[in-house]
Amino acid sequence: MSQRFDIIGAGIAAPGLPDWQALEDALAGSGLCQERQPAPSSLLSPRERRRAPRAAKLSFAAAEQACAMAGMAPGEPVAVFSSAMGDLDITDYMCRTLADDPALLSPIRFHNSVHNAASGYWSIGAGATGDVTAISAWKDSATAGLIEALARLACTPDPVLLVVYDDLAQGPMRELWPTSQDFSGALLLARPGHGRAMASLTAEPSAEPADPGELPAVLIERIDDNPAAQLLPLLALVARPGAAVTMAAEQGPGLRISRIPA
Amino acid sequence: MRPLSVTAMTLTCAAGTGLAALRPALIEGRSGLRANDFPHCQLETWIGRVAGVEETELAGDLAEFDCRNNRLALLGLQQDDFIAQVEALKERVPASRIACVIGTSTAGIGVTEEAYREMGPQERFQPRHRLPRVHTPHTSAAFTARVLGLDGPVLTISTACSSSAKVFASAARLVAAGLADAAVVGGVDSLCLSVLYGFHSLELVSNQPCRPFDQARNGLSLGEAAGFAIVEPDAETGFGRLLGWGESSDAHHMASPHPEGAGAAAAMRQALDQAGLGSDRIGYINCHGTATPLNDRVEALAIRSVFSKPPPAASTKGWTGHTLGAAGIAEAVFSLLALSDEFLPAGLNLDQPEAEWADFILRQPLRRRVEAVLSNSFGFGGSNCSLIFGRLAA
Repeated sequence: MSQRFDIIGAGIAAPGLPDWQALEDALAGSGLCQERQPAPSSLLSPRERRRAPRAAKLSFAAAEQACAMAGMAPGEPVAVFSSAMGDLDITDYMCRTLADDPALLSPIRFHNSVHNAASGYWSIGAGATGDVTAISAWKDSATAGLIEALARLACTPDPVLLVVYDDLAQGPMRELWPTSQDFSGALLLARPGHGRAMASLTAEPSAEPADPGELPAVLIERIDDNPAAQLLPLLALVARPGAAVTMAAEQGPGLRISRIPA
Repeated sequence: MRPLSVTAMTLTCAAGTGLAALRPALIEGRSGLRANDFPHCQLETWIGRVAGVEETELAGDLAEFDCRNNRLALLGLQQDDFIAQVEALKERVPASRIACVIGTSTAGIGVTEEAYREMGPQERFQPRHRLPRVHTPHTSAAFTARVLGLDGPVLTISTACSSSAKVFASAARLVAAGLADAAVVGGVDSLCLSVLYGFHSLELVSNQPCRPFDQARNGLSLGEAAGFAIVEPDAETGFGRLLGWGESSDAHHMASPHPEGAGAAAAMRQALDQAGLGSDRIGYINCHGTATPLNDRVEALAIRSVFSKPPPAASTKGWTGHTLGAAGIAEAVFSLLALSDEFLPAGLNLDQPEAEWADFILRQPLRRRVEAVLSNSFGFGGSNCSLIFGRLAA
């Protein structure tokens, strides 16, 4: 089985990779961008920005770029938020408070501790009343996110926003989740012919090991550092002409994604 | 889209371990709630704690998954010949074409809590807590796929209390898209301090057994559960068929429902549209019905906006407590039992119903054959999911 789809918007937010231009520059061999930071979210009011957890700010930075690039209102597409660990900042707060004095637990931080906090704030900020979901597949979260997004695209004609993100661990969890750089990537998927495509692609299930294609060492390091950055090869395939990449999974099938020449 | 049939299912919750224990509990109105005796928790409340979780051991290569959530998952998988039914499924469908989609909200956080409690001044987890596959929301989907030997797509849906309703929609799409030929879906959530103290901090926990839709309701009772189902297209035998689903977002508030239940109503309408059924064809509703003052009122409002004359309905949380990420699968199983057993449970602890707006909530169970049932699951983040199941054969 092979599925054709277009990418109509894309975004990235990570240290040294604050936006799409920075990714293009890195792919052209110019190294990482030290001048800019990811733009703050325009979806959250100053009050919501204070309340919103780190996972929301991290994921929004890439997701808003993807929607803007496609000229699509952020509340319009169905959205799939995929993350191995969710909000590690809040996990640290929750477990520390429960160990010290559970009566002091903050109700806001508790409701922000759900894995769908980022997607929930997205729905509120963007006014998205369609489906906005939150999934996880641990280190396979980039591949599983794409599988979930492709399955939605096969069933309904509307564009699907895929956001893959993971943060750094705090405190003792660092030993179990040693990621040193946060990462967030977003793709707006559409059926062929929906709008102006950045890239036309095909995806088919694969049992092969991951193949990131030709990438500069600074980007390969990110893939090794943060499983969410397993989306990088696909982002790179969208950013510049290339042949194909393979996104693998420890459990279950991976995907071979090929670019259809324009 | 080819409708999926539910060809096998199982549920373990406070009211019973496996369907053979749950069926009489439903008929006799026997709740599984008990006064809080959860370790390290001093709250005065009632909980739906499953017996036998602590005694369920994860041996051999499963030890790297050891946490309450996965012990409960294994206990659940061991009921109702479910593992044998999955083995039989693997005779019909290659394991590489069977997806595993599991909903959870708590996952293994109970072990993370314990690891912090016992880490000492060095701020380093004890060796027994250094289990990378446990401290992630994905732990129970990975564990379930490992135990059952499934090699299709493996993913966790974690949208709070709608998680394991959405697994049915996700599985149906994977099959329709050709990414799988069948799926094991399910949900597992276990009691932990995060949810007990967390819901307490929001002042949403009752100090009595929960009373969905009763005038005196004053909050929820927390519970835990593990439920699983096999879904596959074109099967003629089983418990029922997934006719439609609806998934929507409130876009309103992280922890409070939309005041008019707009998102909940949208999910129910979508499910009806997809099933191609008029609202008069639904014979029973398993409500989300958490027993918080606001949630029940808003859900009833939403139901009334979709159904000009709501069918008989009830919440089964009086039996189980609110099992959060497992509520969707628990109530899907109860809905499928209502269809196949032709027995519609009433609400438990319902002494004084809200006569003005919840007159359709059953006070006495009904023995009645219905053609289709609706199950509602709504969660934090404004995440709503409604499922419609229909009879397999006329």
